[in-house]
Order: sequence, then structure tokens, then C-alpha cells
Amino acid sequence: MIIMEDVTFGYGIKPVLQNATLKIGASERVAILGGSGEGKTTILKLILRLIRPDSGRISVDGVDITNMEEDELRDIRRKFSIVFQEGALFDSLSVKENVAFCLREFSDMTEEQIDVRVHELLRVVDVENAVNLMPSELSGGMHRRVAIARSLAAFEPKMFLFDEATTGLDPVNAERICRLINEICREGTGLIIVTHKVIDALRVAGRFLFLLDGRIVFDGDRQALLGSDNPAIVEFLNEFRMEVE
Amino acid sequence: MKIDLKRTIDELQEYYFLAVKGVLGIFRRPFYGKDFVEQMDYAGVGSLLIVCLVSLFVGMALSLQLSAELSVMGLKMYTGKVVGISIIREIGPVAAGLVFAGRVGAGMASELGLMILGHQVDSFRVFGVDPIKKLVTPRILSSIVMLPALTIIGDAAALLGAYYIAVFVSNQSGYVYWTAIEHVLTFQNVFSGIAKPFVFGFIISSISCYMGLSTFGGAVGLRRSTTRAVVYSIVMIIMADFVLTRILLYALGFSV
Repeated sequence: MIIMEDVTFGYGIKPVLQNATLKIGASERVAILGGSGEGKTTILKLILRLIRPDSGRISVDGVDITNMEEDELRDIRRKFSIVFQEGALFDSLSVKENVAFCLREFSDMTEEQIDVRVHELLRVVDVENAVNLMPSELSGGMHRRVAIARSLAAFEPKMFLFDEATTGLDPVNAERICRLINEICREGTGLIIVTHKVIDALRVAGRFLFLLDGRIVFDGDRQALLGSDNPAIVEFLNEFRMEVE
Repeated sequence: MKIDLKRTIDELQEYYFLAVKGVLGIFRRPFYGKDFVEQMDYAGVGSLLIVCLVSLFVGMALSLQLSAELSVMGLKMYTGKVVGISIIREIGPVAAGLVFAGRVGAGMASELGLMILGHQVDSFRVFGVDPIKKLVTPRILSSIVMLPALTIIGDAAALLGAYYIAVFVSNQSGYVYWTAIEHVLTFQNVFSGIAKPFVFGFIISSISCYMGLSTFGGAVGLRRSTTRAVVYSIVMIIMADFVLTRILLYALGFSV
């Protein structure tokens, strides 16, 4: 369970997120919607405590992580698995080495076992033929899928976090990524996806938050989102409706 | 130019912590041997040619200047001695340091900056890997090891360049030149020249890593941090060179 209470964060004097309060259950599937620069990614970074809030309190599974030091956060972060925007694969490592990174760092597996596991994970995300390629040789869709494979290899996360997982992808690849997200999150694993693509949010999430000017102005389910009369949400959804039509 | 004192102090404090943690990482597990070897290859082997080239021409220019000046006074035979002392104690370490800052420092800052902007450093943190141990420690250690090695090789190239000018342009005796060089290769002179690049290597790598890891603001931010890494490194090398020269002259018993 993630709890954020009255959290405010800004880069310099400019506030990005203001007085955000929310509770997210361990197996919930939440989409955080909003335009660019509204603070969506900031929420993910705060949950992982990659950044420290200016004020307010954040707790994960009842543990206050607001002022924890880097070493103390290790166990908290291992409850999550994140796929950053554009994958954040390590440039200097091949696809195989990227996926094997955590296995080599934190497990006692032999090279043969790691090899088998890497191929298994790449098969799940359908990029097995790219095992020896470098990240610079991958397409946008393959990048995300390898990043998902790497996040699956990490540990056994209770919750997946996706930052703009489908941004910049063509509709076919975006749909493919959403299907993959649904597959890996089907066994009660929680999910938070940050996106500005409503169609992808509707494919994977059951609860929706909408951010406007760094504030959470909407928190509800699919029906409530589609029926909202908030002018900002109506305008945001218009693009989706036009896309559907 | 307006200076934000609080921000400057904050940055100095952050740099200090990063540099100390980077060095302490050398003595604490896990050890990233592969990264260390990769960095040695990039920083050392990759810089070899350019350090040799720069040092060769610095030695030639220095020899040319000194030959011209000393021949006026009829003291041409001292070219080897003055060139040798200048290169081994002063010019060699500084020239290698400046080349290293331009090539390796800029490379480190831009690479780490790009990793910050691309969330690769955040990925390390989420996986539970300490980015300072993984990224900063191998860079500091490889610079501390490779810059002294590059300096020795650069010194040799500079002395060869100076020899060429002294013998083939200024028509001096090669035997006299090398005898003079042999006489300046004393423990004090060599130690004085080798001690500096250890410090320069640490300065360049720690400043460049700090600048890279504090990158923000996209391409413009990357340009800013890379520029700052090189400029700060160069300024600090020159300043540290003066301080070290003063300390070493005193410690090695030279009178000024």
C-alpha cells in the first residue's frame, strides 16, 4: 500500500506537484493521466524516493520513506519494478547483458542458468532474436520490451511502474506493449502507469488519476473518467474520442 | 556575474561527499573490476596517442625557445638540463593533465550526464546498485592509475622532441643532451613529476563525475555540465600544480 499525504515537490522554486494526497492498494491498477509537465513522472519518482519531497509524507507498506537514506531504501525499492520512459537500457551493455544485469549482481545463478533465464524472459516479450544487439540497434518498441524483460528479471516485484510505456510508439506496438503489461500484471500484481495516451490507460488500468497544474483534480474509475464534466478532462478526452472515431 | 553563495556552498558540499564516497568505494565491496578495466582502457590507452603528440610538440617548442635564448648567452649546452627539469617536474604533468581533462573529463561528464537524463542512473538506484560505486569509483581509480602512466610516456615523448630540436636544429651534441637528462633524472625530480598526476587524476575524474551526475535540463544542461567539467578541471589543475609545487619543493629540500 502506497500512501502520499499532502506531498509537494518542485525543481528549484517552481512547484511540479502540489499537495498531492492519494492511497494506492497493493493490487490496484492505476493510470496517472495528464499533459506534459504536470507532475506525472514526479509521482513515480516520489514513490520510489528517487527524489525527496519538499513537504508531506510518503509511506510504503506502512513504512515512512520520506526521509530515508539511500541504503535504507533498497528493500523498499525492490517491491517495485519500473520501466522508465524510452526504456533506460544501459547503453554500454547488450540486450542480453541488460536483462542479465540484476541476475549477475544479486543472484547466485551460474552463467548457464542466467543464459537460460535471459532467453526465457526475452521470449516472453518477443525479442529473443535481439539477444546480442546493442540498445542503439533496437527500435522504440523493442527498447520498451527489453526494458520490461529486464524489470521482470530484477526481483519479484509487488507492483510495476510504467513511465510513458507507449509514448512514441505506433498503434500496433503500443497495443502490443499494453497486452504485455496485462500479461505480466494479471496475478494480483499492482500497476501504476503514467501516460498521456488515454486509450492505453483504458487498456490496462481500472482507476484513473488526472493531474492538472501539479494537482490531482480527478480520482475515479473508467465510467467516472469518461463521464467527467471537468473542462480539462473533457478537452483531454476529446483527443481520445477523435482517435476512436 | 552574480554568485549564489548558498548554492555554491551546497555544490561544494555535494562534490565533497561524492569525491569521498568515490574514493572510499575503492576499499569496499562490491568491486566492479570489469568497469575499472574498461575505464583504464578508455582513459589510458585511448589518450595515449594524443598525450604523446601534445607532449612531443611541447618538448620541441620548449627546446627551440631555450636553444635560441641560451645560445645568445653562450650556454646552449645547458638546453638538456633546463628542458629536462622543466618537462619532468612541471610541463609534462601539467600538459598530460590538461589533455586528460579535455578528452577524458569531457567524456566522463557527458556520458554520466546522458545516463542521468536517460534515467539509467535511476535504474541503478532502483535495482539497489550504488551509482557512486558503480560509476564514480572505477573512473576515479582508473584516472589515478592511468594519468601518472600517461605522464611518464608523455615526458619521454617531450624529451625526444626536445632532443630532435637540440641536436638536429640547434646543432648540439646528443651525448651532452642525454648526459644532462640523465643527471636531472634524480629521485627528487622524478618524484616531483610523478606525484602531481596522481592528484590531477583525482581532481579531473571527481569533478567530471560530479558535473555529469548533476546534469539537468536536457541537451543544454548536458552542454553546461560538460563545459563546466573541463573548465573547472583545467582551473583546478593549474591551481593544484602551484600548491603541489610549493609543497614538493619544501618537502624535497629545494631552496627557493
